[in-house]
Amino acid sequence: MAGQSIERREILRILALAAGVATFPGFSKWSFACSHIGNPLAQIKPAIYRPVFFSAPEYAMVERLTDLIIPTEDTPGARDAGVSEFVDLMVSRDPELQRDFRAGLGWLNQRGRQTWGKAFVMLHPDQQTTLLESLAYRKKFRPDDEEGQKFFNLVRDYTVMGFYTSEIGLKELDFPGLKFYAESPACPHKDDPEHRHLDPAPSP
Amino acid sequence: MPKQIYDVIVVGTGAGGGVAIRTLCEAGLKVCALNSGRRLDPEKDFRNHRMTWEMKYRGFGDPQTRVKDMPDFLDSEYNEGAWEHDIAYTTAPGTRWMWPRCSAVGGKTNFWGRSSARFGDIDFRSATLDGYDADWPVTYDEIAPYYTRVEKTIGVASTVQNRPSNPDGVYLPPFNFRCLDMILQMGSEKVGVPYLPDRVAQLTVAHEGHPACHFCGDCTFGCEVGAFFSSPWFLLPAAEASGNLELRTNAVARNILVDENGHASGVAYMDRGSRQEYEVRGRSVVLAASCIESARIMLNSKSRHWPNGIANSSGQLGRNLCDHLYATAASGYLPQLLGQPSFPDNVGANSIAWMPRWQNLQNAHEETFVRGYSVYPDGGCSEFPSYYDQIEGFGSSFKREIKRRYPTPVSFTVQAPSLPSVSNFVDIDPEAKDSFGIPKARIHFRWGNNELRMFQHAKQTCARVLHSAGGVLEYAADEPEMPGYSLHETGTCRMGNDARKFVTNRFGQTHDVANLYLCDASVFLNCTDKTTTLSILAFSLRTSEYLVQQFRQGSH
Repeated sequence: MAGQSIERREILRILALAAGVATFPGFSKWSFACSHIGNPLAQIKPAIYRPVFFSAPEYAMVERLTDLIIPTEDTPGARDAGVSEFVDLMVSRDPELQRDFRAGLGWLNQRGRQTWGKAFVMLHPDQQTTLLESLAYRKKFRPDDEEGQKFFNLVRDYTVMGFYTSEIGLKELDFPGLKFYAESPACPHKDDPEHRHLDPAPSP
Repeated sequence: MPKQIYDVIVVGTGAGGGVAIRTLCEAGLKVCALNSGRRLDPEKDFRNHRMTWEMKYRGFGDPQTRVKDMPDFLDSEYNEGAWEHDIAYTTAPGTRWMWPRCSAVGGKTNFWGRSSARFGDIDFRSATLDGYDADWPVTYDEIAPYYTRVEKTIGVASTVQNRPSNPDGVYLPPFNFRCLDMILQMGSEKVGVPYLPDRVAQLTVAHEGHPACHFCGDCTFGCEVGAFFSSPWFLLPAAEASGNLELRTNAVARNILVDENGHASGVAYMDRGSRQEYEVRGRSVVLAASCIESARIMLNSKSRHWPNGIANSSGQLGRNLCDHLYATAASGYLPQLLGQPSFPDNVGANSIAWMPRWQNLQNAHEETFVRGYSVYPDGGCSEFPSYYDQIEGFGSSFKREIKRRYPTPVSFTVQAPSLPSVSNFVDIDPEAKDSFGIPKARIHFRWGNNELRMFQHAKQTCARVLHSAGGVLEYAADEPEMPGYSLHETGTCRMGNDARKFVTNRFGQTHDVANLYLCDASVFLNCTDKTTTLSILAFSLRTSEYLVQQFRQGSH
């Protein structure tokens, strides 16, 4: 079975999917966002999406978190790709995830109130970033924050999954699949097999 | 009206069954083939030409029907309903095993990995070389012409490589090396291990009426145009055209029927829809249901002649289950490619390159293990940036780093054969039954030290290769994948000349029951370091022609 798609397998390891909901209302942003790649910010209207699992305040928080993790800048981000809708779908079908998300969102709100006296979505964007940085970067970790760190990783996993399985996300990567080729694509640098002399890579 | 008696009943339509069906039908024998599931319609059932976002669950499949401890493809939206969801096995205490079964016509050949190396004398004579277990009752010279004919039928892309463990065959032009292959090949040369084009049953040029590959995506979701070998694209049409085939779908084989002499007289099966039991009569029976399923059918075929399962006077039926240990031996990235434009180097999801066995070639005891393993390198711009978990943080820099690293990931998958062991076998669970009321197989299996040593050796070697290539090592698995994951299980009805020690003779005919044959990997002595399908095709072709000969001589 060599050649199995490792990627999907890895993703599914992240997913611990269990029983789901009986009905699925469909996505609002997800499908129509696909046809507006050229200038997503200009063309995407605010969509009315009714979350399957999350309450309205929880959903706003999830949307904000995905936006912070993969922001919209010169290229589209999680918000443009409707990642929060994907997260809502996946969470809605897994009781264990539901517990983790609810507890994690509560944790973030509590930390916001402790530090700045406000729930997470009410914080200034700089404060939100500061809070997440303390969960995301090893050198900024604080003691006894394991629960928050774990939740941040969970949200990040689902944000990445949702974004890079969307058309917007795969175009941003320039995913080369689903084009047809007359022959198997070959390395274009045959004179430089070690690839030591490629054009310098731009730094991030 | 008297019931029709077919010349041959073939159970299974995959690699082994497909070859048997075609060979027998073309020889003029009347064949009834049983397949446990439905026919697939490539246009409807293969959705490889769709993108993740075109499917409700982004290709992962409906979480509600997801089967625990099974690979994701079982529920994939790319080929919904092709894989069996009925669980037909239990595991003995201490055993972990997954047994994905493909019930669609053509079986796993619809979705297989396509790597197609011949076994060599080093495999057939392994016991002579290292003193462990038994030699195969077949030499390479005997089986080589069958490999050649199979390769000509299915089309295998590769090169002549003159490797001692890997006899060369007849090949179509190879896949081109990608950037990552060029780099890893240089690294491998420095370490002194081979890095070569794999042997891929995928058409780099049009072949025998089948179109060339158009390199569109992940072949393991099935090919819409038939540009790689599968039984429904390459074998069954000729059999159906002969007018000698009756293919019964949704027919779940239950047990082999016997006459008053204990010879095979037919097969009892359950109809998937009605759950009614039916019988079909034949002058001979070929089992090609895959190694565990074939053993299960035989163990479930108890009669006064065969109280322990049909053709089991040796007590060896179900014994010597082997599997390939699969694991990520190393993964990381190639900094040389950071920030480079994306390159279509993963569009076939192929094993374009391989590192064929290089251990214990001169001397069978050079290493701390006997025999050897192979490695499949892979990487490049894939469908999902699974390397993201190696990147710290979030936001702008995170997103840009994911993009910058897109062309760079590489990984090495080890394929290490388990040694036959008395503790690894299949029997019948005394209580549990599947949803058709058929007693379940019970699997007893643990990795042995030999294959675990290979795994450690592979981790060390692949880390050195990656390092020598200028790459960065980020991960190596602590534990192998769950046994069964490779879908390369072999054994349970092994072939050998001694009827007291082996279930079938050297032609795959059971020693005890002359009109019962095995045409799958159940007859293999062990799984070798090579993949299984090409050898199933070659051995099935040989067995099928032997069976035709028996008919011509009036034996059946």
